[in-house]
Amino acid sequence: MMAAAAVELESSLELSFSGGGGGGAGLGSLPPARSRIFKIIVIGDSNVGKTCLTYRFCAGRFPQRTEATIGVDFRERAVTIDGERIKIQLWDTAGQERFRKSMVQHYYRNVHAVVFVYDMTNVASFHNLPSWIEECKQHLLTNEIPRILVGNKCDLRNAIQVPTDLAQKFADTYSMPLFETSAKNPNDNDQVEAIFMTLAHKLKSHKPLMLSQPPDNSEIQLTHGPKPALPCWC
Amino acid sequence: MSVRRPPPNGIARQDYDSKKKRKVAEIYQALSSSPIDVAALRRMAISEGGLLTDEIRRKVWPKLLNVSTDDLPPPPEPDLRERSTDYQQVLLDVRRSLRRFPPGMPDEQREGLQEELIDIILQVLERNPQLHYYQGYHDIVVTFLLVVGERLATALVEKLSTHHLRDFMDPTMDNTKHILNYLMPIIDQVNPEVHDFMQSAEVGTIFALSWLITWFGHVLSDFRHVVRLYDFFLACHPLMPIYFAAVIVLYREQEVLDCECDMASVHHLLSQIPQDLPYETLISRAGDLFVQFPPSELAREAAQQQAERTAASTFKDFELASAQQRPDAVLRQRFKERLRLEEPTKSVLTKPRTNRFVKLAVMGLTVALGAAALAVVKSALEWAPKFELQIFP
Repeated sequence: MMAAAAVELESSLELSFSGGGGGGAGLGSLPPARSRIFKIIVIGDSNVGKTCLTYRFCAGRFPQRTEATIGVDFRERAVTIDGERIKIQLWDTAGQERFRKSMVQHYYRNVHAVVFVYDMTNVASFHNLPSWIEECKQHLLTNEIPRILVGNKCDLRNAIQVPTDLAQKFADTYSMPLFETSAKNPNDNDQVEAIFMTLAHKLKSHKPLMLSQPPDNSEIQLTHGPKPALPCWC
Repeated sequence: MSVRRPPPNGIARQDYDSKKKRKVAEIYQALSSSPIDVAALRRMAISEGGLLTDEIRRKVWPKLLNVSTDDLPPPPEPDLRERSTDYQQVLLDVRRSLRRFPPGMPDEQREGLQEELIDIILQVLERNPQLHYYQGYHDIVVTFLLVVGERLATALVEKLSTHHLRDFMDPTMDNTKHILNYLMPIIDQVNPEVHDFMQSAEVGTIFALSWLITWFGHVLSDFRHVVRLYDFFLACHPLMPIYFAAVIVLYREQEVLDCECDMASVHHLLSQIPQDLPYETLISRAGDLFVQFPPSELAREAAQQQAERTAASTFKDFELASAQQRPDAVLRQRFKERLRLEEPTKSVLTKPRTNRFVKLAVMGLTVALGAAALAVVKSALEWAPKFELQIFP
C-alpha cells in the first residue's frame, strides 16, 4: 500500500515537469527552450509546507505524504501568460537552519523572486521570518527582486496562532504582499495557483531584463527596469 | 563472478543458491573463529550480495563497528524528551518519515517504531553533546532500528555517529560541504567530459547531499537496496558514499550529457535517482575508484574547490584530508603493485584528462579494501598524528 502510494507520488511528480514522456530519464525531454524561465526560491521554517505548496502548484494537487526536504528540491511547470510560454521553476529548500547556512546559498543565484512561507498554526515559524528575510538580503544582489509572504495551513481554523492583522502589519513593514492559503484545501478558486500566477504576471510585466533566457529582442540594457508600479513590490 | 541477481533459469538459480549457501557458511565461520575474523566479515559485506540477510546483519554489523553486544546503552530515561532541545525538529522529521517503514506494516506497529526512533536519536545526541542533529540523520537511524532493534541500534548508531557520520554532525555543514567537494574531482578523473559539462551547467553538488548524509536511505525506496549499501559502507572508509555517488553520476553519463546544460535540468535529472540501478556492479566500481583515486590523492583538489568558494580552508579541512592518509597509502601501494605486475607500461595514475577508469579484478581488491578498512572504524577521526598535518601546506 505504502510503496504504491510512494510510487504514485513520484510518478506524478515526473508528470508535473514540462515535456513529460521522459520516464525515469526525466529532463531529457524538456521542450527546446526559447521560453523564458522564472526562477523562484521558496524558503521558511521546517514543516511550514514549502514542499506541499510547490507540489500543489506544479502537480495540481496536495501530495499524499511528503518528507523532510534535504538540501534543495526542484519543481517546474510550464504556463502560458498572454500567449507567451513561460517556465516557472520552484526551488524548494530545506527548513533546518544548518542547511541554509552553508548549502542553500548556491540556489539564490539568479533568482527572480522569493516566496517566504510560514505556518499560520505555528507562531514560531512566523517569528523566524525576519531572520529568513535578513538571510535572503545577504544572498541577493539587488533589492529589486519581488518577494511575497505566504501563510500556509489556513484550513486549520481552530489552530490558527498568527492572526491576519498581525501578519498583514508585518508584511507591510517589509513591503511584501501577504497571501493566506492552504496547500491542502485551497478555497474554491485555487489560491495556490493564483499566488504563483500573480507572481509570474508581475515578473513578466516588471522584470523583463533580469531573466536568464531573454527572448530574442533588442531591449537588453544594462540598467534596471522601471520601478514596479505597486509599492509592495519592493 | 557473473551472477548479479537470482537468475530465472534452473541451473543458474542452483548456482546462485549454492554460492549463497557457501557465503553464509563462510560468514558464520568468520563469526565463530577466535578472535573473530573481522577482515573476512568486511570482505563478505563488500562482495556480491553483501551480508545477504537481516539475521546475519544483526550479528555482523556490530563486529564491523567494533561494538560489543554485551554492553548496550541503558534504556532512555523518561524525561529524555523534555530535556532535549532537538526534540521538536526530530519529532517533525520522524513523523513525516512514513516511507521508510515496510509497506503493509500495521499503523500501530509503525507508530511504536517511530517512538523508538525518536528515543534512539535523542539518546545518542544527549550522550554526545558534540554531535548536532541534521535532517536526514533519522533516515540512517531508521535503517538500523528496522534491522537490529532499538537497543542494539542505539549502540551502533552512536558508534557510527562518532565516526563515519561525525563530519555531518558538526555545528555547521562546512565539513559536509567539503566532503561533497570530492565528488567533482572523482568524476573528473574518470570522465572529464561529464565533469566539464556539469561545471558549465553550474549544477553544484547539492543534488548528492541527501545521498551522502543519509547513505542513500532517503532516496532509495526498496529497503533491500538500502541495507545492501549499508553493508558496503559499514565495511569501508567513511568517504566511500561519495565514491558511490560519483559512480551513479558516471553510470548516467549519457543522460547527463544529453541534458540541457543548465543548473535546473542537470540538478533535476541527477536528484531523481533511478530505482533500478545495478547495485552490485556499481558497488564494485566504487571500490575500484576508491583504490585508483584514493581520497588523499583528491584531497588537494577538493580543498581547492573549497578554497575557491569560501576563501578559507580551515584546520579541519587539513585534518580531514590527512585523516585519509593511512588507509589510502595501504590501498594505493597494493594497487601500484598490481599495476606493476599486470600492466607495466600503462601508467594509469599519471595520465590526466583522459578516461582513466580501469576495471580491476573486482572483488579481489576488496581484500585490500577490507584489510585497510579494519583500521578505519577504530580510528577514522583520531587518525591524524600531528606531524602528518605538515604534509598539507
